[in-house]
Amino acid sequence: MNMTFELSYEGKKRLVIGGVLAAIAAWIAVDAMAGGAEHWARVFVRLPLLLTGQGDGWPITGGFALNILLSIASMAVATVLGTLLGISTLAQSPYLRLPAFFIMNFLRNSPWLVLLFAMLFILPFQVEVFGLRIPFPPFVKAVIGLALPTAANLSEVVRGAVQSIHSGQWEAARALGYTTPQIYRHVILPQALRRMIPGWMNLYALLTIATALATVTGIQDVLTILNTSLAMESERVLVYFYLTTLFLFFAYCYPIAIFARRLERAVKGDNI
Amino acid sequence: MFGLDYSWLADPAYQNWLVTGVINTLELAALSSSVAILIGMLGALGLSLRVFWLDALIEFFVEVFRNTPPLLQMLFAYFTLSTLGLKTTDPVTGLEVPLLSAFACACISLSLFGGALAIEAFRSGLETMPKAITEAGRSLGYSRWARFWRIEVPIASRVCLPSLTNILTNLFKTTSQASVITVPELMYYAGQIYNDTFRTLEVMILILIIYVVLVSILSYGMSRLEAYLTLPGYGKGQ
Repeated sequence: MNMTFELSYEGKKRLVIGGVLAAIAAWIAVDAMAGGAEHWARVFVRLPLLLTGQGDGWPITGGFALNILLSIASMAVATVLGTLLGISTLAQSPYLRLPAFFIMNFLRNSPWLVLLFAMLFILPFQVEVFGLRIPFPPFVKAVIGLALPTAANLSEVVRGAVQSIHSGQWEAARALGYTTPQIYRHVILPQALRRMIPGWMNLYALLTIATALATVTGIQDVLTILNTSLAMESERVLVYFYLTTLFLFFAYCYPIAIFARRLERAVKGDNI
Repeated sequence: MFGLDYSWLADPAYQNWLVTGVINTLELAALSSSVAILIGMLGALGLSLRVFWLDALIEFFVEVFRNTPPLLQMLFAYFTLSTLGLKTTDPVTGLEVPLLSAFACACISLSLFGGALAIEAFRSGLETMPKAITEAGRSLGYSRWARFWRIEVPIASRVCLPSLTNILTNLFKTTSQASVITVPELMYYAGQIYNDTFRTLEVMILILIIYVVLVSILSYGMSRLEAYLTLPGYGKGQ
């Protein structure tokens, strides 16, 4: 009998990844002993600034927390816009369908950074609705600028999910006298929602990654802080700050990506 | 029209900047796309070999590059490669200059980012390959490499063309972020022009339209290629 401990393929893979992580940790430790420790100490002192925009960590005015807030706000706007846009591309009337297609393709084909920049200048500083002044601070502009391309991508997800619902559902609902909005509201969307969730989550991870671009609007996000507040740090230390920031994004987005992939596999087989 | 002032477009200097910007953008996109596709193919081949340590290393690479902002990757590459790392002495001035230009750094980091996405696309293409086909190749005496290059790549590349189109358009759009590390591409010249003319809105609308047209041409070209390459039974020919 073989006495050696047998690992599965996945187990071996995990072992190697663990080895890579250990090697990175070892490299950091060696580097720390060779003088990197004081650099890491600088990072540790500045960590609250990177995370919350304040040296003391409170109140939260920016930093990575602002990136997350921005991603949540943009995703909320994008979910509403994207669902409407996606359903519009499936409309019977060409007056609704063709403009929706045009808008979707325009937004999908424009670079996020350029769109964000354009929104910065296209959107006014404030709008007046019925004598009520609604100001458009850079944060709101960043939310809209990031929500638009996300909405266009989400509309594809919505479209795919709605189309994947069996046509019998439509026919049955019509036979029962439902109107089109009622069919969407009570029959199609509740079923399509389940299939939309993995795509929605993937998009959320993508959006969170793209919030790094919001630095061009001048809000105090993690990259702005990295580029301005930390400018007085020495060049060598900045490498450690960049690594820390890269890790922050990775630590937030990777679990979401993993979870989305699991859900995708769970949803794949189901045919309602 | 709409109170927009495009009179600056008549200035040959600005026209020149725009043309140079477009050319540099195309160059950056073409270079990084080709390397990304190469990385994607090699990575997918590596994954298909089912060697656990190679598999783990490739997965690590893909996850790191997919889950961090390309802008930050580019800044990091620019900063570490050119500011801290590789330096050379200019023979004329005797000054120390970075060995890699901003363009080279952007190219490297975009290639790696695109490559990570492409590996995923090619992998899912290879996974849909029916076992019978590779077995048929093996029984005809094809070596592992010949099977990959003559059988799997032609079929898998057709299956994954739609997702490859997504990746290439995504990469093209991401090249605009190279302006942040002062690569003189279209977005960079946009900044130059509106700093000169103060016509921010007009410049950004024009640049947005130029990008949308370029990306639309790319995705149209890819869909034509898809139609041209269709094999009965695979991808769109299904």
